[in-house]
This record gives sequence, C-alpha cells and structure tokens, in this order.
Amino acid sequence: MGSVLTKTLRGQRRALAWWVVGLVAACVLTTAFYPTISKNAASFQKLLDSLPEGLRKAFGENFASPAGYLQARLFSIFAPVLLLIYAIGAGSRAIAGEEERQSLDLLLSTPVRRRRVLLDKALAMITATVGLGAVLALAIVVTGPPFEISIGVADVVAAVTGCVLLALAFGGIALAVGAGTGRRSVAVGVTAGIAAGSYLIDILALSVNGLGWLQRLSPFFYYRDPESIIRGLDPIDAIVLGAIAVISVAIAVWAFERRDLSA
Amino acid sequence: MNPSVPALEVERLTKSYGRARGVVDLTFSVERGEVFGYLGPNGAGKTTTIRILLDFIRPTRGRASILGLDSRRDAIAIHRRVGYLPGEFGLYERLTAHEQLTYLSSLRGGDDERSIRELAERFDLDLDVRIASLSHGNKQKVGLIQAFVHRPDVLILDEPTQGLDPLMQQAFYRLLHEARERGGTVFLSSHVMPEVEHVCDRVGIIRDGRLAAVEDIDDLKGKALKLVEVRLATPAPSGTFDRVPGVREAVAFGDRVRITMAGPIDPLVKALASHEVLDLQSREPSLEEVFLTFYATGDDG
Repeated sequence: MGSVLTKTLRGQRRALAWWVVGLVAACVLTTAFYPTISKNAASFQKLLDSLPEGLRKAFGENFASPAGYLQARLFSIFAPVLLLIYAIGAGSRAIAGEEERQSLDLLLSTPVRRRRVLLDKALAMITATVGLGAVLALAIVVTGPPFEISIGVADVVAAVTGCVLLALAFGGIALAVGAGTGRRSVAVGVTAGIAAGSYLIDILALSVNGLGWLQRLSPFFYYRDPESIIRGLDPIDAIVLGAIAVISVAIAVWAFERRDLSA
Repeated sequence: MNPSVPALEVERLTKSYGRARGVVDLTFSVERGEVFGYLGPNGAGKTTTIRILLDFIRPTRGRASILGLDSRRDAIAIHRRVGYLPGEFGLYERLTAHEQLTYLSSLRGGDDERSIRELAERFDLDLDVRIASLSHGNKQKVGLIQAFVHRPDVLILDEPTQGLDPLMQQAFYRLLHEARERGGTVFLSSHVMPEVEHVCDRVGIIRDGRLAAVEDIDDLKGKALKLVEVRLATPAPSGTFDRVPGVREAVAFGDRVRITMAGPIDPLVKALASHEVLDLQSREPSLEEVFLTFYATGDDG
C-alpha cells in the first residue's frame, strides 16, 4: 500500500480479473469460428463485396485470410471498444471518483501533491490498459493455432498496440474531463460522446467524398488506417494517438492544479 | 521556526461563490498551544475557511497561513505538519480500517503502526473490520485517528464529535488535552455551544460568512443569555419586567412572558414573587439564539 499507484491497482484487482476473463472469452469465441468461416470463404467474400465501399473498408476487405479475419471480427470494432470502455472508466474514476465519494480531501491532506496523485492515477490506468492489451495479444497467439489461425506475433502485437494507444487516448480525455469537472458521469458521458462521434466521422468519411480533412480529427482514423494487423503499426499513427493521451494528461494536471475541489 | 509566528493566521480572507455563501473579509489568528473553537451555524462558512487553509479551495482575496507557511505556496509543507479531519469524508469501503489508516500514513512517509494500534484501542475501534460495515460513528473514529496518528503540530478538525457517542467524545477530549500538553495547536469547528465551552480557550464566531466576534471563552460565557419563560395566573401589564436588572427583553403574549436576560437570575425571581407563577422554565439559548439576540443587535444589525 505504498503509493497512490499501487493502491489504485490493488483496488481494481477483482475488476481486472473479470476483464481478463472477458477478453480471453471474446478471443476464444472469435478464433474458434475461423475454421467455419474459412471453409465458406467464397460466399463470405461475396457477401462482403456486396457491401458499400465505406462499410467494406471499415470491416476490412480480406475476410478469408487469418489476419483479415481477425481484423474484421476483432480489431475493427470489438477489441478497441472493450479496451476503450475499460480506459474511459478508469480515466473517469481517477480523480472524479475520489472526489464524488469524498475521499479526495483525506488523500490530499497528506503531503502528496495534486499532480502526483493525478499522475499516479494516470499511470495506474496506463499499466492496467497495457496489461489488458498483453492479455489480449497472448490470448490470440495461444488460441489462434488450434483453429488454423497462423499469424505472426509481431502482427498481433502491432494490432494490439494500436488498440491500447487508442484506448489510452480516450482514457486520457476522460481523465482530463473528470479532473477538470470532478464529476464522473460528465467524464464518461463526454468522452463516450467524443468516441462515438469520432468513430462515425471516420466511417462516414470513408464513403462520403470531401470529408477527408474531417477524418483526420478522429482518433479512429489513426487507429484504423492502415490496419495494423495486416500492414504493421504506422509510427506516425502511433505517435498521434500517444500524443493525444499525453496532452490529455497534461491538460488534466493543469485543470486539477488550479481548480477548487468540491467538498 | 520563529516561535512568535502564530499557529494559524487569516487576513482579509474572502471567498465568493457567485450568489452562494462564501466567506467575507475574515481576519483572525490562533496562537500556538491554543485550542480555538470556530463556532457558527451550519452553512456559515466554517468548512470553506478550513478548506482554504488546506489549499483545497483558493481564496478570492486575502491570505491564510499556518505556522508562517502560506496556504497556497507552501501547501505541502503545511500538510506535513497538520492533522485534518474533514466535516464530511468518504473512506475506501472495500478496505479494512487498518488498511485505510496504513495507506494514509504511508503517504505521509511514516510507519505509524504503533500509534494506529494505540489510538484504535482508545477509541475502541476494531481495525480488521471492512469500512463498508462500519457504523457512522466508527467511520468518524477512523477519521479522527488518521488526524492524530502522526502527532501533528496543528490539528484542524471540522465538526470532530459528530456521530460519536458520549463515551467516545470523552476519549476525544482527552486526546485534545494531550495534544495541547505536547504544545500542539487545535483549530476545531463546531455548531455545538457546550462542546466549545468545554474544550476551547477562545472562540471565533462566524455568521453568514462574516466573523461576528472573537472572544475568550470565559467572556463569552459571561455574555451568554438565558431564556426564561413564565406563565402567570393573571397577565402582567407590559413593561413590568423591563426594569429588572439583567433583563434585555421581555415579551408578553397571553398569560406568558418570554424574558431574555444576562447575569444572575435572582432579581428576576424576586420580581416574579409578587405574581402568581403557574410555570417557570429557564434554559440557555442555542447558539442560533445567541446570534439573533446578541450579535444581531451589534453594529451590523
């Protein structure tokens, strides 16, 4: 129980254990269906080809290959949304949770600076999200081969890294809103709204011409394009997502340091 | 550190919250070794003042300092030397009382295991129980223990005895006494007059965000008014009791007379003797009534 960081992580032990169970289950349910899909690859491909171009791009175009299958089933939406939910929850709780349950006054009456508390909380969120990402990657690598999914570890790591960075970008935003307002529901609501909005923008921009510039405002654009599991993680994309997270945490510190805390 | 610096000092301290209540132009200081009561009805601005002292909220104007350290600039140095009990606080429900106390004390960088055990024993608190299943009074004990555990130079306690049963209040008063023996300073807020009378050397009285008075407790007791209500067989003509020594106000309604007075009650009893008295009740006024009857007639009334 040394620091705010270890206390925060310890406090989440049980919740994190459930997240691990859920992620592994989601993985197994995905990989276990691959043999069925690949046997009927031709008809699935035909179905996919009949979709509008935008949707096709969103799901991934090469459904029958192991990488294309994982991209479509797991990494297009399912895995990032799971990690996003975790990170947004953790980011929102970080400061606003303590403040709403009125434990923040006691915490900050010790000789620990506000920014130290916030950075420890941010570090806890990052550690746990990276940990969940590692579990996800491991689950894919381990449960893939029995179901005919042979895929390079590096490709899985690239895809999961993209997921984790996307989750941390939104987790950082949630942390900033929570630290700035002291209200958890506001942090969850605002961040979930931004996430949903930017996902829609990204998808819409795929099929509507002339929205390319708008797309670049969406964090999802840097996650999805190019698809990391197929083409590897683009360093620029990774840097953009990481920068969103870092800048959000910096804004969180700034807002939290200067604000009146609610009793 | 310079011993002539007051333990606690606020200067023209103002906090405005739009139209909501804050504090206005507070100036007072608390000497070292003093037990200072910060007295006022709920919502008067006691908690606001305390949270400015600890840098949880920032003043609109003015400044506050503890042991010569500025509340804004030196907040961390202040936190190191202050024990603080918030008026309302939450604990981590899933921890045990012991884990909660160890966590806070480890953030202070100390190993206070012995002190935690000793205080828990004095407050009769089972440390191994989860916070979630503690009663309100027991949670208050956890709050008190964490404030005292590192033997701070200054204790800032917001409504410390709320929820404590009388026996535990006594345990708390003994702790206060010991803290003062060690040379510590205590700043405690309360809305309960008898408690403040019991433990404090001096009180500051705050009402609607303004400091109404700072007095020695003995002077305040001298000024404290009594309320006497009598029921008479035949109504007394108005003005009958106005000239009795000590009487501030006598209001008759029906067969009752409500008399507000200071000092000894004997002259009033003598005056009443010439009437047929059916009933007589006397009590010390509540703090609110002291404000209304005494301070409201002062210069700002």
